[in-house]
Amino acid sequence: MADHMILETHDLTKRFGDRVAVDRVSLAVPRGCAFGFLGHNGAGKTTTIRMLLGLTRADGGTMTLRGLPVPAARAQALARVGAIVEEPRFHTHLTGRENLRTVAAVRGPETFARIGGALARVGLTDRADERVARYSQGMRQRLGVARCLLADPELLILDEPTNGLDPAGILEFRQMIRALVAEGRTVFLSSHLLDEVEKACDAAAIIDGGRIVRAGAIAELTRSSHAELVLACDDPDRAIELLAQMPEVLHVQCAPEVLRIRLTDAALASRINRRLVLADIAVSRLEPVHDTLEQRFLEITSRLEAVA
Amino acid sequence: MTVVTVRQMVGAELLKLRRRRGIIALAAFFTVGIVLLYFGVRAIEHASNPAANGPAGGVRSLDHATVVLSVFFGSLAAILIGTEAGTSDLASGVFGDLVVTGRSRLALFAVRVPAALIVTLALALASLALSVAAAYGFADGMPTPSASFVINSVLWTCGAQALICVVAVGLGSFTGSRAISLTALIGWQVIASRLLPQISFLGHLRYAIPNIALGALKPGLTLPDANGLAPGVGVALAVIAVWALAWLAAGGWRTVSSDA
Repeated sequence: MADHMILETHDLTKRFGDRVAVDRVSLAVPRGCAFGFLGHNGAGKTTTIRMLLGLTRADGGTMTLRGLPVPAARAQALARVGAIVEEPRFHTHLTGRENLRTVAAVRGPETFARIGGALARVGLTDRADERVARYSQGMRQRLGVARCLLADPELLILDEPTNGLDPAGILEFRQMIRALVAEGRTVFLSSHLLDEVEKACDAAAIIDGGRIVRAGAIAELTRSSHAELVLACDDPDRAIELLAQMPEVLHVQCAPEVLRIRLTDAALASRINRRLVLADIAVSRLEPVHDTLEQRFLEITSRLEAVA
Repeated sequence: MTVVTVRQMVGAELLKLRRRRGIIALAAFFTVGIVLLYFGVRAIEHASNPAANGPAGGVRSLDHATVVLSVFFGSLAAILIGTEAGTSDLASGVFGDLVVTGRSRLALFAVRVPAALIVTLALALASLALSVAAAYGFADGMPTPSASFVINSVLWTCGAQALICVVAVGLGSFTGSRAISLTALIGWQVIASRLLPQISFLGHLRYAIPNIALGALKPGLTLPDANGLAPGVGVALAVIAVWALAWLAAGGWRTVSSDA
């Protein structure tokens, strides 16, 4: 199990005075995927990441990175981890290449050979000898990724990496994440941008109020707790009458040009279709409704707020 | 950590310092520039009125130059460089990115010290070389410094600048703030270090002032503002060691223990 997971936490806890910022967080991130870490601002995402990277101490719980315990084997664990926490920061009086040299010096002699490749990978070769003070936000983000790549990382931990990027930059970043995953690396992407996580990640965990409230594959997370169909037919009024007689139909709602049908089970769609067709109603569209991650996220977190 | 890694980490710290052109220029002014001004002005004065103004060179001028380069302007250069080395990663926000490489925080702190010392001592040696050349070149009949006096003066001036530089690295790493460290150190060096020796009821406690301890080891004339205070060599060395080690320990402790 440990070999399969590149990042694991058990009951990870962090307090700031009386406030519990991270409350017994248990995470398991499989190797070779893009894993989203979703939460509102202040939910505990960055604090969790900071504990994983040894930037702040945990008050309780255990962590492993690359199967190695942290902080006990921190140096070895982080040797092939690249991370951007919050926004990437640099010595702005140095060039992009010089900034990478300062990090390569800290990582070890073998790292210097990766500088050129890392710059090329993020498309900064032509601007590498300019001072970072002249870089745009997008270029700094890319230089941050280049700095991560110096580690030849098995795991990249990216905290809100698309902050400040324009739509083209976000798309480019998403493509880069998928390319990194395609190389067998794992990307742990923390974000409050639900759409971003849904498009870029294979799995995600949702943190709210310092606690993990849901975790799983994106498809699982977006799967609704109830089944819902969208139906288009040539006689909606008669279809509503028929559907109302069916015990498996919980609710029928008229929406512009379609009916939204809530069922006890999504597998009943074929039975709905058969019933309507036998009643001589022409069905032109019948498809299950999938929630977006955003809908599920808001549903989960607002439900929790209601309980609180 | 291998020797190669240490050398490369020190090299990276040197790169950060060297590229701070404004700070390096100011530090060069406080050392090389001040020496050029000191001997230049004195040479002009002597040339314009030899009867009223003695020669610019000679052993006495070299002695004065070492004082200027150690506890006066030279100390400002050491403070600038040491503070920059101590605060650079923290102030730019890069420290966290270095921590996540897995490298020990103590190592990240430790390499700042040799880098700051290299830059500080390079400027000190350049300005001392000029001072020695001027002491001989402008002697004009005045006694010139002996080889042993030159060596002792160079060692003492470098030692004094190294102490101030190390304290600045430690304090900079401790506070994480360039502004606080510079204000505290310049205030201490320019004001407190000169006022405290004059407060007689402090008695032998004044031996703990670094400038008093440095003065006890100085070749040639005594330091101005020493107010006759002259601790023994052992006490002076102990005071210097405590100041250096205490601030290094404070800087190292803060670097290791604080959130990055």
